[in-house]
Amino acid sequence: MSHADEEEDGGHHLPAVEDWPRGFGEASWWPFVTAIGAAGIYLGAAMYVLSTGDSALVPLSYGLGTAVASIGLFLVGLYGWTYHAFIKAYWTSESTGVGLRMGMLAFLGSEIATFGAGFIYYFFVRADAWTDLPHLVESGNIFSSLVIVNTVILIISSVTLHYAHVALRDDDRRRFVGLLGLTLLLGVVFLGGQALEYYEFIAVEGFTIAEGAYGSAFYGLTGLHGLHVSLGAVLLGIVFVRSLFGQYTPEKHTSVTTVSMYWHFVDVVWIFLVVVLYVGAIISV
Amino acid sequence: MAGEQLALTVLMGVFLVGVVALLSRMEDLRTYTPLGSGSAGYGDETSHGHKPAGLIRWLTTVDHKDIGILYGVYATIAFVWGGMSVMLMRLELTTPAMDVLAGLGGNAFYNGLLTSHGITMLFLFGTPIIAAFANYFVPLLIGADDMAFPRINAIAFWLLPPAALLIWGGFFLAPLTGGAVEAAQTSWTMYTPLSAEQANAGVDLMLLGLHLSGVSATMGAINFVATIFTERSGKVNWANLDIFSWTILTQSALILFAFPLLGSALIMLLLDRNFATTFFAVEGGSPILWQHLFWFFGHPEVYILVLPPMGLVSWILPKFSGRKLFGYKFVIYSTLAIGVLSFGVWAHHMFSTGINPRIRASFMAVSLAIAIPSAVKTFNWITTMWNGKIRLTAPMLFCIGFVANFVIGGITGVFLAAIPIDLVLHDTYYVVGHFHWIVMGMIAFAGFGAIYYWFPLVTGKMYQKTLAKWHFWLSEIGVSITFFAFLLLGYLGMPRRYATYEFSGAIAPLTQITTLHQVATVGAFIILFGQIIWVWNMAQSYIEGPVVQDGDPWDLKETGQHSREFQWFEEELTADEDSLALTDGGESDDEIRADGGEVEAAVRRVDDE
Repeated sequence: MSHADEEEDGGHHLPAVEDWPRGFGEASWWPFVTAIGAAGIYLGAAMYVLSTGDSALVPLSYGLGTAVASIGLFLVGLYGWTYHAFIKAYWTSESTGVGLRMGMLAFLGSEIATFGAGFIYYFFVRADAWTDLPHLVESGNIFSSLVIVNTVILIISSVTLHYAHVALRDDDRRRFVGLLGLTLLLGVVFLGGQALEYYEFIAVEGFTIAEGAYGSAFYGLTGLHGLHVSLGAVLLGIVFVRSLFGQYTPEKHTSVTTVSMYWHFVDVVWIFLVVVLYVGAIISV
Repeated sequence: MAGEQLALTVLMGVFLVGVVALLSRMEDLRTYTPLGSGSAGYGDETSHGHKPAGLIRWLTTVDHKDIGILYGVYATIAFVWGGMSVMLMRLELTTPAMDVLAGLGGNAFYNGLLTSHGITMLFLFGTPIIAAFANYFVPLLIGADDMAFPRINAIAFWLLPPAALLIWGGFFLAPLTGGAVEAAQTSWTMYTPLSAEQANAGVDLMLLGLHLSGVSATMGAINFVATIFTERSGKVNWANLDIFSWTILTQSALILFAFPLLGSALIMLLLDRNFATTFFAVEGGSPILWQHLFWFFGHPEVYILVLPPMGLVSWILPKFSGRKLFGYKFVIYSTLAIGVLSFGVWAHHMFSTGINPRIRASFMAVSLAIAIPSAVKTFNWITTMWNGKIRLTAPMLFCIGFVANFVIGGITGVFLAAIPIDLVLHDTYYVVGHFHWIVMGMIAFAGFGAIYYWFPLVTGKMYQKTLAKWHFWLSEIGVSITFFAFLLLGYLGMPRRYATYEFSGAIAPLTQITTLHQVATVGAFIILFGQIIWVWNMAQSYIEGPVVQDGDPWDLKETGQHSREFQWFEEELTADEDSLALTDGGESDDEIRADGGEVEAAVRRVDDE
């Protein structure tokens, strides 16, 4: 059913020529599966809302079950989609990746707005309703050594990722894979640090998301950033696994580039976040 | 009660199964092949008939043309939903008291309809109908094989039906839960503290659905940006990129910054509602923060919705004026100018909230400045028609109606941008009238014009021209009656959003207000009648309309305006003929070559624009 080998005339090709369950030419089940999975996550959240309140309409387990099942479906769809789109025909594809880099750039532009809303809230609070602060801010302990260590780790991870990319372009494969693995490890350590900080704050200090205006900003922004680092770690993991399977050459490294763009962006957001949310909270003017 | 619910659920299940069965049996769905379905574009004849049949074809398609059609069908369904909800509201408003809807839930139901009408028309009709045209035509117009990311394109569409179900969820769940969950009653602006404090879970469902639709719109925008930047054919550069793709590019850039910001604001509102955060609480970010964030999204959203229709009109209007678009460059510059300025005007929605007067004045200045690029466009459309050979086809009528309605809708907006006038007219029907001249009089009109213009290309059939003209005139007359009445109601001080208006004569003259409301309702029914004709015309012509044999159904070659998408159409027609007449031998080959030469000449002329 495939038409992949019919394309002679100057790169004109059908999308999704080889796909599962079978080549439809211009069709694929994966987008539909992925979309249903993604929508199911929202449905799970909706059912969670319906399970709260005085008169629960559905049991809590329905919402959680739907969300978990949907995340699974979403990941399966994502796997099928990206596998058939990018990985299966990796060596035969002639894509220059310029569209993907452009797409990542556009996505990062949209991320500025995503983070922007949270920061604007924080600036509103910082400039206006800066009262009733949690004791962590009053004492300055919000900006702990843990944050400094975590920040350094994330910055180093950006550096290692950059030099991994340089090594790839110099065709130094061992160094590329090693530095990539190190980057992934640093990312995971950062996430562990974040989890530790959350544990300290919530369980030990009793500082939660419902703890007033600063708490909303703190958990909203660090949570959003943490989700982004998690996604970044997943992406790095995919690139790492692909590199272990021998993909990427000095000429073909589009996803290394796009994932690097994303990772550096998330890193920069973190630095900004530390400056305004941690340091900015305890500096008085 | 439990038995009733069970029965209702079973009934809904049977209904859904019935719908699926019907759809899978519909012969048209099975046999529908838009011309060149499966073709990769110019001159590629390899790929007919490689799509699965029936419903599966639509669920699995990643072809930009199919996805465009899906968006169009989806937007039409949403248009019907939004239209039906407003007809119920207009019926209620014929009398000052609550009577028509009293049995259905009274004021609360009216508020639900009001919210649903706004949200549906803007997020589920407006954005998708533009995506329909953009998906189908941008790749054709820029000479691309498909979108840059065909699969992301499909994902973005398939997020929309669940989003609609969540947004409308309150309506479905109200009978099932005995009213424990109702339709959201926040109005489309979802202002806090109202939206933060309404306990109704229908609001949460709507917020989740809106977030999902925003994810879809953002994915689409990223795709269009990447497509227009990287997938253009060698012959298309920035200087001859068509005007519609320019507006889609600008719109996508606006979406990139506007929708994610709304997405975050929606999440913050959800957290406020469910996890005791203070994002929009008085002790936190304050309710005004919502208005800032919402309108920082919301005003660009206006241009997200109106720039592509402007591009459609700039594209279609010259075709029936026999002249190329006057001031092509300046139309593009004005598009970009509007795009940039649109992020600097949001606070004009908040003049009456007591924000700092100096900030207010600067927002007034920027808002008034938008009148300049808007007027550049208007005058360019008028000068395009000036001394032209005008043909009053249905698409052209809708384009002219668009320009006329924009003059009224736009100028009423200039008045509202002035602080002193806004303070008087804020939250009255004048505002509602102003933006309905824009959203119905422009966005919907441009959509109809484009649907008629490209109907032969998409379906291979021709619509019924007389019915199309009825559609136009009923719409234009209905719009004028309804929305002029709105402007007058606003002058009289009728506040917007109310289900009843039994107020004292000291506030406003009740008799005139009642009359104007009745006039508006009559106008709304005229619009409704026009749209019924439209739906009938589309369905009937699609099924049994005359087959289009001519690759140039609008006689555009005469004026050198046989543009890319119709060249593609012509090539598809000749390719079909060619495969039929293969046994005839060489003669048809020559014919095609001669044809191709002519087309080339036309391309150059169009590209000269």
